[in-house]
Amino acid sequence: MLPELFFAYFAVTIVLFSIFVVTARNPVHSVLWMLLLFFHIAGLYLFLNAEFIAAIQIIIYAGAILVLYLFVVFLLNLREELKIYRFIGGWPSGLTFGIALLAVIILSIRSFIAAPPGKYSINLIREETHTKALAKLLYTDYLFPFEIISVILLVAIVGVIVLAKRRLKT
Amino acid sequence: MKLYLLIPFLPLAAFVINILFGRTLIRDKAHWVSCPTIIGSLVVSVITLIDVINGKIINEDLYTWVVSEKFIVSIGFLIDQLTAVMLIVVTGVGSLIFIYSIGYMHGDKGYYRYFAYLSLFVFFMLMLVMGNNFLVLYLGWEGVGLCSYFLIGFWFEKKSASDAGKKAFITCRFGDFGFALGVILIFLTFGTLHYVPVFDEVKGVAGQTINILGWEVDLITLIALLLFAGAVGKSAQIPLHVWLPDAMEGPTPVSALIHAATMVTAGVFMVARCNPIFNLSEVAMLTVAVIGAVTSLFAATIAIFQNDIKRIIAYSTISHLGMMFAACGVGAYAAGIFHLYTHGFFKALLFLAAGSVIHAAHHNDIQRMGGLKKYQPITYITMLIAALSAGGIPGLAGFFSKDEIIWSTFASGSPVGTLVWILMIAIAFFTPFYSFRMIFLTFHGKFRGTHEEEHHLHESPPVMTIPLMLLAAGALGAGWVGIPTILGGGAHIAHFLEPVLGHPELHGTHAQEFGVMGLSTTIALSGIVIAAILYLIKTYLPLRLAQGFSGIYRVVFNKYYVDELYNLTIVKPGLWIADSFIERFTDAKIIEGIVNGVPRSIGRFAGILRKVQTGITQHYAIIMAAGVFILIVLILW
Amino acid sequence: MNLQFPDLTPVMPELFMTALALILLCTELLVKKKGILAALSILGVVVVAYTLIGSSGTTFGGMFVSDGYSTFFKVIFFVNAILSVLISIKYIAIERVNFGEYYSLILISTLGMMIMASAADLIVLYLGLELMALSTYVLAGFIRYDIKSNEAALKYFLLGAFSSAFLLYGISMIYGLTGTTDIKSIALYISEKGLTENPALSLSMILFAVAFGFKIAAVPFHMWAPDAYEGAPTSITAFMSVGPKAAGFAVLGRVFMIAFASIKLEWVAVFIPLSILSMAVGNIVAIAQTNIKRMLAYSSIAHAGYALLGIIAANNEGLASMMSYLMIYAFMNIGAFAVVIMLRSEDFKGDSISDYEGLSRAHPLLAALMLIFMFSLTGIPPTAGFMAKLYVFMSAINAGYTWLVVVAVVFAVISAYFYLRIIMYMYMREPKVEVSLSTSPSLGLALGVTTVAVLAIGVFPLYLVELARAAISGF
Repeated sequence: MLPELFFAYFAVTIVLFSIFVVTARNPVHSVLWMLLLFFHIAGLYLFLNAEFIAAIQIIIYAGAILVLYLFVVFLLNLREELKIYRFIGGWPSGLTFGIALLAVIILSIRSFIAAPPGKYSINLIREETHTKALAKLLYTDYLFPFEIISVILLVAIVGVIVLAKRRLKT
Repeated sequence: MKLYLLIPFLPLAAFVINILFGRTLIRDKAHWVSCPTIIGSLVVSVITLIDVINGKIINEDLYTWVVSEKFIVSIGFLIDQLTAVMLIVVTGVGSLIFIYSIGYMHGDKGYYRYFAYLSLFVFFMLMLVMGNNFLVLYLGWEGVGLCSYFLIGFWFEKKSASDAGKKAFITCRFGDFGFALGVILIFLTFGTLHYVPVFDEVKGVAGQTINILGWEVDLITLIALLLFAGAVGKSAQIPLHVWLPDAMEGPTPVSALIHAATMVTAGVFMVARCNPIFNLSEVAMLTVAVIGAVTSLFAATIAIFQNDIKRIIAYSTISHLGMMFAACGVGAYAAGIFHLYTHGFFKALLFLAAGSVIHAAHHNDIQRMGGLKKYQPITYITMLIAALSAGGIPGLAGFFSKDEIIWSTFASGSPVGTLVWILMIAIAFFTPFYSFRMIFLTFHGKFRGTHEEEHHLHESPPVMTIPLMLLAAGALGAGWVGIPTILGGGAHIAHFLEPVLGHPELHGTHAQEFGVMGLSTTIALSGIVIAAILYLIKTYLPLRLAQGFSGIYRVVFNKYYVDELYNLTIVKPGLWIADSFIERFTDAKIIEGIVNGVPRSIGRFAGILRKVQTGITQHYAIIMAAGVFILIVLILW
Repeated sequence: MNLQFPDLTPVMPELFMTALALILLCTELLVKKKGILAALSILGVVVVAYTLIGSSGTTFGGMFVSDGYSTFFKVIFFVNAILSVLISIKYIAIERVNFGEYYSLILISTLGMMIMASAADLIVLYLGLELMALSTYVLAGFIRYDIKSNEAALKYFLLGAFSSAFLLYGISMIYGLTGTTDIKSIALYISEKGLTENPALSLSMILFAVAFGFKIAAVPFHMWAPDAYEGAPTSITAFMSVGPKAAGFAVLGRVFMIAFASIKLEWVAVFIPLSILSMAVGNIVAIAQTNIKRMLAYSSIAHAGYALLGIIAANNEGLASMMSYLMIYAFMNIGAFAVVIMLRSEDFKGDSISDYEGLSRAHPLLAALMLIFMFSLTGIPPTAGFMAKLYVFMSAINAGYTWLVVVAVVFAVISAYFYLRIIMYMYMREPKVEVSLSTSPSLGLALGVTTVAVLAIGVFPLYLVELARAAISGF
């Protein structure tokens, strides 16, 4: 019973905080809601015995990325977001379709049958320690995706430089 | 290397070169591209003919264009006896006309364009006769139609020329529609478009019927009639003959090549090629024979009263084409093709000679000519030979082929054959009559034009007269390959074509054959004599006769009012419907005309749809989500 | 622990491509003339294409497969990359964004597409897709000072992220259902456990269809396309109207034909409305456009609808016809964009349809080329576009969807209206503005290649079709 309660708490708060993030009018509040959101996601990881990912989640997202967001917000000196009808006027239909979509998805996954768990059961991870298990997988079975990610990160860097840093030739 | 491929592709190369570089580089030297290529084609055609005579028949697919399990389209060639004869006609007559054109079209500002189109035409015509399946035939069929349209309207600044081009194009559409349906029906029936399997299997479907709107129609008859509809359009038979006389608006060499020697004979070629199909349908054969014979007489009578030198020859062409169909209709395909072959020479010659006359006189009206033999001796003699040949005077090319047709119809033994034979005998009178009326009015007597016009009269340059002389040789001697057995000849051409076209069943004795020959010759000579009396000796008579029989005269002079009839029943109502409806609707502002209406209403609908694209990303996301929702509902419920 | 180094032969082209992109990034610092980078990238792509030979095989524990199917698509991507680079050289100088990263990004995006085509595992597939998409987002926003370019990039990015979410949701759902992300194992598990009737599986399939539908710009997931195509640099519009679309079709074919093979009827039922809607919206809204890039964007939506017919046929013949369709589309569409680019000069936008009025007077050759491309896009023989349509139509008919082909033909007829309107403008109207062309040897080369390809494939389609059939045979 207790694990289910834990999971329910995390899941519900994550959804709630996500809604707060996108609805908060003050960007700083938004970022702070996101901080809470990230903590809860980390909690969910911990709950799955993925202590390494949980730590990474906090260090990188909460520690690094969010601080960066805050800097950007301060630099741009955004106080409060403007409400322009043209852009938000569609929200009732957005909400309608969002809820409708949610409803049909819930209806159709009622019949969901989970596949048998893979070889990395919680016990195995506990035995091997999470970091080691993850590292082993990442550098053996998932080497190829891992390398692709490195290229994706490279694109991100190049993209930022091109779009923000390159001086235009006149 | 397949040598025969040069035959169509040399002219195609000439077309490409002329159209690409004609305006900038070649200009008035376009004939240096087109003439050598067609002469090259002629040389290869002769080689091919010799090969075929030696028994080398080619039937192969060169290139398969589209392949699916059921749908195979290939470019392939079939070179047999029939094709070989056609190749000689097309490239032989074509070469001479190309050379003649150098003189005739000299100085025209569309000189390169003229030769480009002419080469393209020859390419399509050669594809038409060389193909080994109906698709290549159809490609050539449409291609020659298109080139004919370009060339009739070559002097498109002249309204009558561009109108004539349109008329030819639209009239032929009626027939081509049927032809296309016929080809599709063949494909549906046999699952292939290649001649050989279709002709092999055609016996197996004899007697099958299909249901069209509740009518049981014999399948073979339907196919044959649909194909024949195409021939009626292309070869200007009743009721689609109206375009050919108007097509004379094009340059005269074009009339000679396209509207006499080659393209218009495509219908005859096609019927002959499809003889296994036609043979199986009595109804279709009857239709071919009757339409051919009736058209022939009909056109011959019109030709008598025409005053435009080119129109006389145009009606003569229709008449001769009708004879060819009549021959095919009684099963004497070889006779039809033989006549096609000789006709190619003498009719091209008539046109080119007429062109030479027009070149000198600068108009087409024979009533304003006369006495030209003094100024144009070569033209006169060559045209005389052509007229004699066309009229069926013994010894000349036209005689043998015409005699073959008349004898075949007589000896076919069927009631239709006899009817056709009677019509043919009548035509045997009219043909020399109108030909010599034209000769006498043009070359004999006194010049009836103005003094200034007389001043301009001159013989054409050698580049024009030499082709005339060569064609005259053809009009004289081309028929000697078909001298019938009773005259001591070998009837070579009939034997040559027999593997493809079969042998008609003839019932008759030698005595009868001589009798028929003698009868038609007598009648032909009497035609010339009467023409001489009317137009050389008692020149006042024609006018008096016209007054005496003014009713008949007027009807025939106005070409039986067919054009007027079509104008009244098809063109006018069509235009009226178009005009009144479009005008009414635009006035009422319901829609802006039928033609513009549909695209415009789609356009308006597009304008509304476009508004969905608001440019706001949020809306886009909503539409995507809605799409997902609808898809899920659609699939799972 | 037994560590075995994976076999690298199958990924050789990808490795070379990565190396090439990195080399270009570095040389960017050294060379002043950007033309050298373009030449280097074209040369490099040719080398990479060469490494395709003999690269067949499976590696990385079955995550990556190099087979005929993937190779055919990679050739499309290479054609796309080379032609896009050729039409870019002068154009990005005119737009004053002549940076070396441009070429690297094109190559990396192509790398992403290659990975997608070869992905036998959903994770690899997703990463390849993101790699391709991220580079394309940056490229779309490459003209930084141009607000339209910014808009294009941002919209493409936001909606792309949105669609990625659907894809991830679909992947996680199928992973939950089957316990694997390997495409073949998924199919195996589904048939073993009899999951075919499970609505969750269908839901997952629909989510995949949505994400891939977004990439190929199928209605109603096409909304990004017109804005992104119009705002992006024209050379990139050409690039992304072909590459990501082809890549989308590549994964579409592999995932649906293999992983979801057991629920074929259901996903065919998903794609039929997508196809009809794409043809309808694409062809009809294109009529109302005044900007040629936007018109071509709608045309590209419509072409996705036609190509989907090959997927709907749901057999090898259908896939082969879809593959040849995309190859032909690459040539004719980039050809058309090359003409559009040629009209762009320093002080002239040249992307309005009215700019084409009377083009045949001043520039007859260019007008003739545009005529060929418009004919091809309409599907008029003897151009390649006709063959493309013919084969997908035929495969759909053979699969029993005659009615759908009738619908497609009706829309093809409608499409003639806006394609031929360009021709009408070029040949039958008087020029209103004086258009000066910005020609360059590379642009000429691109036009030459595309024209020859469009005509050659139109006349000799069998080689391409046989190639596609051979490529699909081991699928």
